[in-house]
Amino acid sequence: MVTDLAALSRVLYSPTTIALYFAAAFTLLYALTMSVGRHDQQRRGELARRVGGGLAVAGITTHVAHEITRGIAQQRLPLGNMFEVTSLMALVGVVAGLSYLTWIRRRGDLNGFVLLLGGLLMAFAGLLYAEPGPLMPILDTWWRPFHVSLLVTAMGIFAAGFVFNALFLLRDTAELSVAGARTATTRGSTVGAASIEDLDDIDAALEGDDDRVHDVAYRAALRAGVPAGRLAVGTFVGASTVSWVFLTSAPDTASGLARFFSINLALVAAALLARWLVPFVPSTVTLDGLAHRTIAFAFILWTVGTIAGAMWAEQSWGRFWGWDPKETGAFLTWVAYAGYLHARATRGIKGRPAAWIGIGAFVVMMGTYLIANYVIVGLHSYAGL
Amino acid sequence: MNPAVRRRAARRSGPIGFVIESVVMGWRWLVRMRTALLLLGILALMTAVATAVPQYPNVPGTVEAWLAGDQGPGTTVSQALLWIGAFDVYGSTLFLMLLFALFLSLTACLIPRIRAWLRLVRWSQPPLARHRPDEVPDVVDEDPDVVLDRAERVLRAAHWRVRRPEAGEAPPQVAAERGLWSREGGSLVFHLSFYVLLIAIVAGQLLTFEGQRGVIEGEPGFADTEMSYWSYRPGRWFTSDDHAGWRLDLEAFTVDWIRDPTAPGAGQPTEFRSRVAVTPVDGEPFTAEVAGNEPLVVDGRKIHQLDWGYAPYLEVVVDGEVVHAAFITTVAGDDGIFRGAVKAPAAEPDVGLAVELYPYAPDGDDGIPRLTGAPWADAPVIVYEQWRGDLQLGATQQLVTELDTTALTSQGWGFLRPGQDVTIDDVTLRFVELKRWVGFQVSHRPQIPWLLGGSALLVAGLIPALYASRRRLWVTAVRDPETGRTLVHVFGRAFQRPEAFAVERARMRAAVLDRS
Ligand code: HEM
Repeated sequence: MVTDLAALSRVLYSPTTIALYFAAAFTLLYALTMSVGRHDQQRRGELARRVGGGLAVAGITTHVAHEITRGIAQQRLPLGNMFEVTSLMALVGVVAGLSYLTWIRRRGDLNGFVLLLGGLLMAFAGLLYAEPGPLMPILDTWWRPFHVSLLVTAMGIFAAGFVFNALFLLRDTAELSVAGARTATTRGSTVGAASIEDLDDIDAALEGDDDRVHDVAYRAALRAGVPAGRLAVGTFVGASTVSWVFLTSAPDTASGLARFFSINLALVAAALLARWLVPFVPSTVTLDGLAHRTIAFAFILWTVGTIAGAMWAEQSWGRFWGWDPKETGAFLTWVAYAGYLHARATRGIKGRPAAWIGIGAFVVMMGTYLIANYVIVGLHSYAGL
Repeated sequence: MNPAVRRRAARRSGPIGFVIESVVMGWRWLVRMRTALLLLGILALMTAVATAVPQYPNVPGTVEAWLAGDQGPGTTVSQALLWIGAFDVYGSTLFLMLLFALFLSLTACLIPRIRAWLRLVRWSQPPLARHRPDEVPDVVDEDPDVVLDRAERVLRAAHWRVRRPEAGEAPPQVAAERGLWSREGGSLVFHLSFYVLLIAIVAGQLLTFEGQRGVIEGEPGFADTEMSYWSYRPGRWFTSDDHAGWRLDLEAFTVDWIRDPTAPGAGQPTEFRSRVAVTPVDGEPFTAEVAGNEPLVVDGRKIHQLDWGYAPYLEVVVDGEVVHAAFITTVAGDDGIFRGAVKAPAAEPDVGLAVELYPYAPDGDDGIPRLTGAPWADAPVIVYEQWRGDLQLGATQQLVTELDTTALTSQGWGFLRPGQDVTIDDVTLRFVELKRWVGFQVSHRPQIPWLLGGSALLVAGLIPALYASRRRLWVTAVRDPETGRTLVHVFGRAFQRPEAFAVERARMRAAVLDRS
């Protein structure tokens, strides 16, 4: 009976939830591209939005069912190892992100990005998969769910903040380059236009007074404003700052390389998809505001969660802070996000530099999370359980 | 002539002037937000180094291995790391200097902010609107004064700061402001809590005490005095008079595992618990339990159960003379084997035994123990290797559980079960019985309530600092001379979180117009 439940929870996780998240993400992103344009397009977009919403609800349902069956199968809260933490992080990120966007900010058109993130995180959790099992007694107190769930919630929301910051940077880059290209061409100079491929077509199109042609051309110009090659290489290199951990920690070189490349290429694919969607995302002001609000909220949770962790350590290990790799990582993440909040409140740094600091803070969080579990083994490590 | 807003100090020249100018410039640099950001960046960088490089206080063994070139990036890099203090980042001068700069910057930044904040709370009045906005007004039939009076009531009830202009000062209106001091006040409380935390941490370093001691079950325990700890780490201001003096004995110890090798999580511990008897200096003795997450507090000392191991009682007799008769403590390695050592310098020459204890090693068909890694003591056996020569006690640094074999020669090895004995040449070795020992940590940390208080302040300040928003709202009401009806505008501006303000403004408008 218990093994049946374990098998069920496994199927609910993969392929069911992963597939539903990705299906919902692609449907909703398709709906986003249909939200502008002719009437019949908008009707199709509305249909896609409904279908995507249904798929998202189905995905969340199977995800919750997975957590519950896993919890029953192993007779404890599913918060005991890296797979469970990552999976819950995805669930929290998806539920909190969708609720916030849909009901508080009324920007449900962006839900597809949150689901894309959820799907990627769930697929990533598969790299860390561990069969259900009991918990070490030292980990088994009420402090644990309190401390861990706060930090996991914060991680999920930080992840959503990362998406908003990344979209902000994409959109901002696109807008800047379109604005730059316009001034460059009107001055008859080719400087600055060199990086934009088919500028002549765009300009030709921009001349026309047909609205639709104009929109299409503007969208193409925005897209062209983000050089795909540089985005792909940049994403690959950026992802490597975290995914190298799998090269050093995998049981053998081949599987390490496989993990490294699957993570990096999945992120490159996501970045290219986001580039294609860049004309449809909201204004930079909105995206920047979304990033700030999500990160501010998660920062509070992270602060409380870290304090709770220190209280638990005092209870359990007899010292409240020992600069163990995980504690160092939690502190480092905290400082990095404090850096983001400061940057955003600083004249001359807010905007692009602040968004980059936000991206860096997310890299710090994911990096320290993986390093503290896989590379340096301390009191906190539970990767292998 | 307008008076000068602020008289500039007369410029000084010469060396004193240079010093003063430098201090002023330095202070101005410290006050800047960019400086804080830079310092936070350096702090992050140093923490990152401490994540990547092993830290001496945490893992001294790994650091030694790096320095010796057995692990890590090689001796050259390790020497460079040692030179910059990367093996003890949090104890390095650089880190102290950074912390000092951070707090100086924080102070430089907070003093003007606190002054400005106090001024704000005490004096600030909502500014009056000079013009009505270019929006379509709400049109009502009430008298303008009725609308404005109601607006004032509604806004005051919702805790806004409200101002009505004097006659002729400005168009008739109610001006209101909110979130004026909570956001900035929260931010100040948040940053000020760092001082509480810093003082608590520094004072804690001085006043704290932490000692560790192993106790064998059923054997005499130890008293809380300076001499009885195996490892003893007092703060600089903690003196031997500060000990509580109670006595602790281990009555019973329980440990268990998931023994079924096919069960999920096989081999994981499930229980780890000690029953101890405590005898206060003056007071009744009592028994209590100490477990993994449940420390015991006696007279302000916290007693944690940290680790445990097996303690075989070994007797060594040389030429009829007992040279060693005691429990030895064995410690489990990563491979699950419990290792310990007997060091008997009373023999001539010295006798040393390297002991490996296998808790579960049932006899095979051939009568030879089958060694397993299981930790439960259902069929314990020790594997010993006997050494003679010079133990070099006091001459080299040694662990209690390890022999320094450089001046010893091996005399052979064998198995021994409890109750058995063996004689090699003139040495008789007897495995009398097997017990267990538990490692207790006793700690005294008077800083903890202060740390908790500082953390509470930190969170209490952080929430308004990130969530409160400063916003202004104006309500104007004038009679339209053409229609004789009243035109009402409810408008405003939010300094933060404009989207939340849009909702709030709509609500206030409904309340002002009495349409809610
Ligand atoms: C040591 C670690 C520090 C942390 C974790 C920290 C954290 C924070 C946070 C979370 C905020 C709120 C940001 C916001 O309102 O959006 C803030 C604001 C601020 N901090 Fe810090 N801070 C630190 C050090 C400093 C230092 C050293 C200074 C002084 C130079 C400083 C100056 C400020 C200022 C001026 C603000 C107000 C920003 C605003 O008005 O929005 N902080 N700080």
